[in-house]
Amino acid sequence: MSRRIYLDYCATTPIHSSVRNAMLSVLDADFGNPSSLHWAGRYVREMMDQSRLDVANGIGCRPEEIVFTSGATEADNLALFGTLRLFPRNEAHLITSAIEHHAILHAAQHLEQDGYAVTYLPVDGRGLVNPEDVRKAIRPQTKLISVMSVNNEVGSIQPVAEIGRLAREHDIRFHTDAVQSVGLFDVHVDELSVDMLSLSAHKIYGPKGIGALYIRSGIELAPMVFGGPQEHSLRAGTENVPGIVGLGAAMNIVREHRAEERVRLMGLRQYLVNGLQALGPGVIVNGAEETSAPHVVSVSFTGMDAEMMQIRLNNDGIAVSLGSACNSKSIEPSHVLTAMHLPQEWIESTLRISMGMPTIKDELDTILDAVSRIMPRVKIQ
Amino acid sequence: MSTFKVCVVGGHCSNRVMIVAEQLTEFFEKRGIACKVFTHLAAGEYGFAPRSNLILQLLPAFTEEEAGCPVINIKPLIGDPMHPATIEKILKQIQADYKM
Repeated sequence: MSRRIYLDYCATTPIHSSVRNAMLSVLDADFGNPSSLHWAGRYVREMMDQSRLDVANGIGCRPEEIVFTSGATEADNLALFGTLRLFPRNEAHLITSAIEHHAILHAAQHLEQDGYAVTYLPVDGRGLVNPEDVRKAIRPQTKLISVMSVNNEVGSIQPVAEIGRLAREHDIRFHTDAVQSVGLFDVHVDELSVDMLSLSAHKIYGPKGIGALYIRSGIELAPMVFGGPQEHSLRAGTENVPGIVGLGAAMNIVREHRAEERVRLMGLRQYLVNGLQALGPGVIVNGAEETSAPHVVSVSFTGMDAEMMQIRLNNDGIAVSLGSACNSKSIEPSHVLTAMHLPQEWIESTLRISMGMPTIKDELDTILDAVSRIMPRVKIQ
Repeated sequence: MSTFKVCVVGGHCSNRVMIVAEQLTEFFEKRGIACKVFTHLAAGEYGFAPRSNLILQLLPAFTEEEAGCPVINIKPLIGDPMHPATIEKILKQIQADYKM
């Protein structure tokens, strides 16, 4: 393996040097417990407060509306379980979409098993939820609508602001998983009319194991973890201070760069899409250009084996993601591509290429060369 | 006479390749075909073909030239362990290469 090229930024991102430096100072010297009343604790508490402010500034809310979690999965779980469990089982209904991350879908399925009602909204061929479908799904018992901002597999940008307005009209809470959007879009909770928003540090050049849930002031949630007053008593336990400091630093970086990065990555995406489409008519880019996030390309190589393509790319030092996971007895089709009604053979032939701040055009040339070389080798016979 | 080696090649999933290999082992035993079935994951071996007399691959990992032996694609066996056309291909190849 000669050169390594990473094109899987939807999965995770490398830690930015500024984030690392900020975290190192906490790891090296600032060891206090933020709940302690002495100097060691107070100093760390101030650092944590600053990070809370940094995260709040990144999404246009107040610092006291931020609850730190172990990541977006926990934040999603807190939003769903925390809302629904405030109500008796037969009196609460959740609306979500069929293309959410499993952090939402598995939580929703668990709630269903507990007796709560859940509606899974369909998407169109571009991977988009239709707000009209949201309107139709609303019932008198609907307590929460949760629709992601940007899909992590195909990059479809959901009409979050429209759904938010709809939720507000009906006095229903609205949550969005913004993991794939906060790094590139100017997310503002009031403009989107969201009541809760999940985010994760490791998708925005921060560390793994830390995330946050924005909770609009006045919104009540049932706590998930008991044992202390931390994080408004919603999540007991001594805070992950290095992670929190890292998240704050990461948010500052993306807030400063996301507008220019959005434009830069849009150009790179177009270049990549053009290059892929030039490889032949069997190469199909999923989703629609005008509603796709600039950092994600979902591409189906029809008639080819995506798993072998991914393996051969990896052997060449190029990291991309498979569109479908396998299990022992079958290829588990991607729930997102399935919901988009893509033919089964496309779904099994899909790779996800995702870009980030370190991505340069030269890397895209390398992957395009590699793919064109590999394609004849991975035809399904 | 050396043992006739059949290699079942998979991609990432060791469970899947093991299940197919076990099913094939059982099938060969029932047919009285004495051979050694072993597995290989293309994802972990940086593209080197395993030494064997016959490669049965769940994904297009190797050409016959690379493998130095006959190669048969057996992806249909994932959904149907006794997929008739695939089983027929395997038996035909074994009959050609190996005296049962």
